[in-house]
Amino acid sequence: MNSRTESVAKFFAAALMLSGLAACASAADPTAMTVIAPVGADAAKPFPQPLLGAMCVRNVTGGEKTNPLWVSKVDNAGFSTALTASLTGNGLNAAATDSCHFPIDVNLLGLSQPGMGFDMTVTSHVNYKVYDSAGQPFLLETIDAPYTAKFSEAFVGVERLKKANEGAIRQSISTFFVKLRDTTPK
Amino acid sequence: MASLILCLAGCAARQVTPVAISQPGDAELPCNSLKQQIADASAAEAAYRHKDKQVESGNAVKTAGSAIPVAGLFLAGSIDLSNEEQVKARALADRIERLAFLAKQKGCAP
Repeated sequence: MNSRTESVAKFFAAALMLSGLAACASAADPTAMTVIAPVGADAAKPFPQPLLGAMCVRNVTGGEKTNPLWVSKVDNAGFSTALTASLTGNGLNAAATDSCHFPIDVNLLGLSQPGMGFDMTVTSHVNYKVYDSAGQPFLLETIDAPYTAKFSEAFVGVERLKKANEGAIRQSISTFFVKLRDTTPK
Repeated sequence: MASLILCLAGCAARQVTPVAISQPGDAELPCNSLKQQIADASAAEAAYRHKDKQVESGNAVKTAGSAIPVAGLFLAGSIDLSNEEQVKARALADRIERLAFLAKQKGCAP
């Protein structure tokens, strides 16, 4: 390989690498954070009867808007949409506000994200607070849920981080549902 | 190039373990223990909030520095996105709220 060819090859290698690292960040997609239906062992264990059609998302706090020049984040509205869709998909969401006997408050404590990397692991930290119709705390859970987005899932770094965020929230909601299945509401 | 590859492969987020909002035995805590735990958690929360601001300032400097050729790549790689202090401070705030709720339920003196 002559020096000119080598320089061109180096230039394209660097450009390829930088394109993998740099792009505009976009917020997490609620659809990608939604838990549609239980899988594996979870599918065998039903939710307690009193919870069916009796839950709703009341408040979501702690989320952050995504700055396109920075990294992908999860905002309150996106999380609320994903959790509500997950409740609906699993038969838990109340049809109307007055039939919501178990309101859920969520505090997004934060996302632990990597600076850069080939495979990116994001861990979501979320507090779920479920109350009963008397206003008493019925389930209080702190859930730390990791998800690794492989290099093969998205070549561009910011897109891979977005997928890792979405996976970590999906995993968090899924774990929350596992905890709900183990409860005995009155 | 080898350093960059090492960084890309190894710039994982730090493991962050926030305090659980509800813990076994909470309901049995006497008033003096609740009061002490609230005081300890409040002090820890303030310390984490202070440190979080320092990390944010450090990240802003590193972000600006990342425009420097070559060295900037390493500065960018050292940006702390683990949100450790923020996560821990927020978790402590929820924990304090929980303990205060229990103290109120038990009729503990403020």
